Amino acid sequence: MMSNEIHLWAFLQGIGFYPTGWMHERARPEGVFSMDYYSYVAKLAEKGRFDAIVFGDQLQSRGAGGRTPERMAMPTLDPMTLLTAMAAVTDHVGLVATISTTFNTPEMLAERFGTMERITGGRAGWNIVTSVHPDTAGNFGLDEMPPKETRYSNAADVVDKACELWAAMDRAGPHLNQGRPVLVQAGQSPAGREFAARTAEAIFCPAPSIEAGIDFRNDMRSRISGVGRNPDGTRVMPGLSCVLGGTEEEAKANHKAIMDMASVELAIEYLSESLCCDLTSFDPNAKLPVEAILEKTLLPTADVGRMVTPAGEKGTSLRDFAMNFMLNPRGHNVFIGTPEQMADMMIEWRDAGACDGFTLQPSYMPGGLEDFVEGVIPILQQKGRYRTEYPGTTLRSTLGLPAYERAEA
Amino acid sequence: MTRPFILSAAIADPELAVPETAATYLNAADETGLDLLLFGEAGGRPFDAQVLVAWAAPRSQRVGLVATVPASNAHPFHVARALSAVDFLSAGRTGWSVIPEGAAEGTAEDMVGAARSLWDGWGSDTLILDKASGRYLDASKVKASNYEGPFFKVTGPVNAMRPLLGQPVLVLDDAAPIAIKDADIALVSEPTADAGATKSLLKVTLDTKVEDVAALFAEGKIEGVHMSLSDPLAELPKLAALFAELVAANPGGEGDLRARLGLPLASTASNQPDGAKIPEIA
Ligand SMILES: Cc1cc2nc3c(=O)[nH]c(=O)nc-3n(C[C@H](O)[C@H](O)[C@H](O)COP(=O)(O)O)c2cc1C
Repeated sequence: MMSNEIHLWAFLQGIGFYPTGWMHERARPEGVFSMDYYSYVAKLAEKGRFDAIVFGDQLQSRGAGGRTPERMAMPTLDPMTLLTAMAAVTDHVGLVATISTTFNTPEMLAERFGTMERITGGRAGWNIVTSVHPDTAGNFGLDEMPPKETRYSNAADVVDKACELWAAMDRAGPHLNQGRPVLVQAGQSPAGREFAARTAEAIFCPAPSIEAGIDFRNDMRSRISGVGRNPDGTRVMPGLSCVLGGTEEEAKANHKAIMDMASVELAIEYLSESLCCDLTSFDPNAKLPVEAILEKTLLPTADVGRMVTPAGEKGTSLRDFAMNFMLNPRGHNVFIGTPEQMADMMIEWRDAGACDGFTLQPSYMPGGLEDFVEGVIPILQQKGRYRTEYPGTTLRSTLGLPAYERAEA
Repeated sequence: MTRPFILSAAIADPELAVPETAATYLNAADETGLDLLLFGEAGGRPFDAQVLVAWAAPRSQRVGLVATVPASNAHPFHVARALSAVDFLSAGRTGWSVIPEGAAEGTAEDMVGAARSLWDGWGSDTLILDKASGRYLDASKVKASNYEGPFFKVTGPVNAMRPLLGQPVLVLDDAAPIAIKDADIALVSEPTADAGATKSLLKVTLDTKVEDVAALFAEGKIEGVHMSLSDPLAELPKLAALFAELVAANPGGEGDLRARLGLPLASTASNQPDGAKIPEIA
């Protein structure tokens, strides 16, 4: 393996990173309901020699305050189904499914992932999440979500038990090529980071700047050493979105075009979903209704208060707050520029120890992924920082992780 | 209404989870004109069939893909989503067979009820996908299910679409009976008047007399046959050859699995007659 190789994952949930992405002329919103689209995208990711395709997942009913958004690209199809079908039309690319430990038993997880691991020939990964959204509880017969500490301690037990079950499946045959799926996690809180340190072989995170990336990766590496694991056995993969253009001006114009598709109605729906409270009946031109938000939100009021109180004090309108919120989604690094500049930025981050690679979130699909694969990948390859062929057939080998050691029965 | 002679088979070989073997089995199923392939069956389910039907969707063209779902190791919210996705990927070829597999009495029925109410939470014509106006869907067509059964309580709406088939084809197996009266297909050892499904398929072996089957079909007591395979590559061509005349004389319709097999959604099973419609984009 080349040293300082850049790893790349394609995070492909929905129709792109931006809430407006589905409206783009090069987006295919109808495609997410057809195999043609997934075949095309899976082969494109494999052509781009991505380590893996990742689908995020949420189990809540989308509909803050009982109102289903009309302008957001929903619904989400089951990630494990999509990924397993994509495996059927590819040979190398890894397939990482986001699945909750709070709403699946170890037996369900072991059987699903064990089967996926077999039928994909050892290309499965599990993005372990504990589910946060309060609207998830009702879909599983609960009145409210268990607190975070409980969710993470349960997650540790569930993962341990599932690993035992995979070892038994592997012994019973047919053999699991990787022993078990690669374990992935994205915790941010102390409990989440501790869990990742003990468990994860790859970690997602938001890192808006190179400094934030360095801090996060250093913190995770020391936590991983702290629990007696080798930090080189874990890949840190911050999110990265991009809008490309042949020149910087063109890239900026392309970005502006995506932004200009945003309507106030969409922005307010997006904010409503993010704050877990329906704001669509409020006057967009009036002040951000901070009191009503804090009263109605299903999220912890302290967290929501930190997000909305400063704007409330400044007298920002609902319209302006919502538009600004939507244009800077989820605290990820968004690159706007030429493919050459993007490749340089990625190499700079990697060399500075800000990451082991990136989780690419195309701004719209499939056009955004096409631009990246055609524009940026060849440059990274020419510079000797990115693979031109896969090293093996399992996700572990692609990630350059040590082979899984089978415990004695 | 179409009245085809239906050919169905089940594979419970653990090797169905190994890609090289699965590929040969699926090719054989398509080549022999099989209508329904059950992934696993009561007493033989050495894999998660919901995962395997996903893999099979792009690897097969025609055969109906029926996942055997154990009530003891599944949740209706996950099942409803997984099968909805498989149905889109297979362009409307999905089925499911719910078996108790050790679950408390009533769990399998509750699973069926909960999943159906989740699929019914979305109207057939919910999606708009209009880039120009920015309207993705019609929210008035999405309803919370608020399903409450003895084992499962699911608020909904599920965060996935209604399948193309409306609901996947529901298959009952008399080897693992469940108390459902409005399923689509029943696999029966003996023809019976109250099999609980729109159509019954007689369980056969390669030694079954074709004349007997033809007579039962002519009398309207069965609509085809089902066989549990132990050596799929050897048995599938033989099964197809045995019933070739009946199949040729009674062809299926055109379209998705329900249309082909003549299985409209039962009005007791769904709050609407159709499956999801995906708007065309210019
Ligand atoms: C890049 C990234 C992707 C994520 N994807 C999902 C997801 O698809 N589903 C989910 O439930 N949570 C997802 N999360 C949330 C994490 O699982 C986690 O809950 C979050 O980062 C907060 O950390 P904490 O759980 O330690 O508070 C994601 C987080 C990040 C950073």
